Amino acid sequence: MSSETYFAALFTEHSDVALDELVQASGLTAEEIVELVEHGVLTPISAPPARLPSSAWRFSATTIAIGRRASRLKTDFDLNVSGLALALTYLERIEALEQELNRLRCSLLR
Amino acid sequence: MKYKDYYATLGVERGASEEDIKKAYRKLARKYHPDVSKEKDAEEKFKEVGEAYEVLKDAEKRAAYDQMGSYQPGQDFRPPPDWGNRFSSGADSQGFQDLGDIDLFDLLAGLNRGRARGARGDAEFRMPGQDFEAHVQVRLDDVIKGIEIEIPVASTEMAEDGTVRRTTRTVKVRIPKGATDGQRLRVPGKGGQGMGGGRAGDLYLDIKLEPHELYKVDGHDLYLEVPVAPWEAALGASAEIPTPSGKVNLKIPPGSRAGQKLRVRGRGLPRPHGGESGDLYAVLQIVTPSVLSEAEKELYGKLAQASSFNPRAHFG
Repeated sequence: MSSETYFAALFTEHSDVALDELVQASGLTAEEIVELVEHGVLTPISAPPARLPSSAWRFSATTIAIGRRASRLKTDFDLNVSGLALALTYLERIEALEQELNRLRCSLLR
Repeated sequence: MKYKDYYATLGVERGASEEDIKKAYRKLARKYHPDVSKEKDAEEKFKEVGEAYEVLKDAEKRAAYDQMGSYQPGQDFRPPPDWGNRFSSGADSQGFQDLGDIDLFDLLAGLNRGRARGARGDAEFRMPGQDFEAHVQVRLDDVIKGIEIEIPVASTEMAEDGTVRRTTRTVKVRIPKGATDGQRLRVPGKGGQGMGGGRAGDLYLDIKLEPHELYKVDGHDLYLEVPVAPWEAALGASAEIPTPSGKVNLKIPPGSRAGQKLRVRGRGLPRPHGGESGDLYAVLQIVTPSVLSEAEKELYGKLAQASSFNPRAHFG
C-alpha cells in the first residue's frame, strides 16, 4: 500500500474549470450544461454566456458540486433538463434558508 | 457469498412487473435520495434501493438473480452448479468455488461488463474509473491547522479475465487549512481505477465539522456565548474570552443587552488561499447569581429603590 499523502483541493471561488472539465467531473453532457446555463441554474464566471462560445466558458470550481448533484438527480429520477433546473433551484433555495436558519440559531442563547 | 433480497428492498413481489418495480423504485428514491431526503441513514438506504433497482430493472440481470434461488437476506449461499454456465459469458474461469468475499451485486454487474467487453473487442474497451464520495467528520481544531486523514475507500476492481473483486484501500489525504462545514474537496485520480487505459476516477470529500462545546459555526464565522453579570452589562467591562487562536480581551460596552452580538474581527476560522479569517461573534448572555449573599441582597434592594427604570413601560 502506498503511504504517499494526497492533497485535497477545496472547491472555492478562487479556482475555475472549463466546460470540458465540468463535463468530466459532473457526468453531465456539454449540451445539458449549456441548457442549465440557459435556465440560469449554472452561471459561467467568464463574460456573458451569449457572447462566448461554450467551449470558452469558465465556471467557478464550486459549480462542480452543483453539476454532480444535477447528474445524480438526473439519473436517479429520470429528470429532463427543465425538471432538473426546477429541482436545483428549489434545492438552492432550501440551502440558503438552512444557512439563514443556522445563522439565526448561532446567535440564539441557549 | 451473502444473499440480498432485492425484491424485499423495493417492497415488491418476486413476480412484480417491470412497471411495478419502476414505481416502487421511484417512490423510495424520492424518500431516501441523499440530495432531497432528511431521513436518517438516507444515503445508506438509497444505496440499497439503487442497487436493487439496478439489478431488477435489467431483464438479463434479473433472470440471473432469480436463477440463484431465494434465501434469507444475509444468508451465506452459493448459486446452483449450472448457474455460471448459463449466465456468465466469459467468467466460467471464475469457477464459483471461492465466492466467499464476492459481493452479489458485483457478480451480477460483472456479467454485463464481461459481455460488453466481448462485444466491443478487448482493444477498444476503455472506461474511466468510478468517482468515489466520502463523508469526513473533522474537529474544529483540525480545520484551523489543516489535517492529514486516512480514508478507507472500498472499490470494485475488474481483473483482465472479467472477474470482480471488492477491495478496501486507504488513501491518505491532506485537508488544507480553510475547509469548513459543508465544504467539498476533490482528490484527483484517487477514485476507482480506469479500465483499458481509461483515466482513474476522483475521490470527492464532504466535510462535516464535529459540534464544538464552545463555538457554533456559520461558514467561517464562529459564535461564542459569553455570560456576563448584570453590573458588567450595565456599567461595561472587559472580559477575557477564548478564541481558537488564543484568548482575547472583549470590551463589553456600558448598557449592553442580552443577546447582543459583539464582533471580534479575524478570530473565526481561517479562509483558504490565505484570505482574511472569519470573525468571532460574542453573544452576550446576562446571568444572575442563583444564590445571593446578604450584602448583595441589600445592594440590589437599594438599587431597586433608587432606580426609576421600568422595563415594562411599553405595556402601558
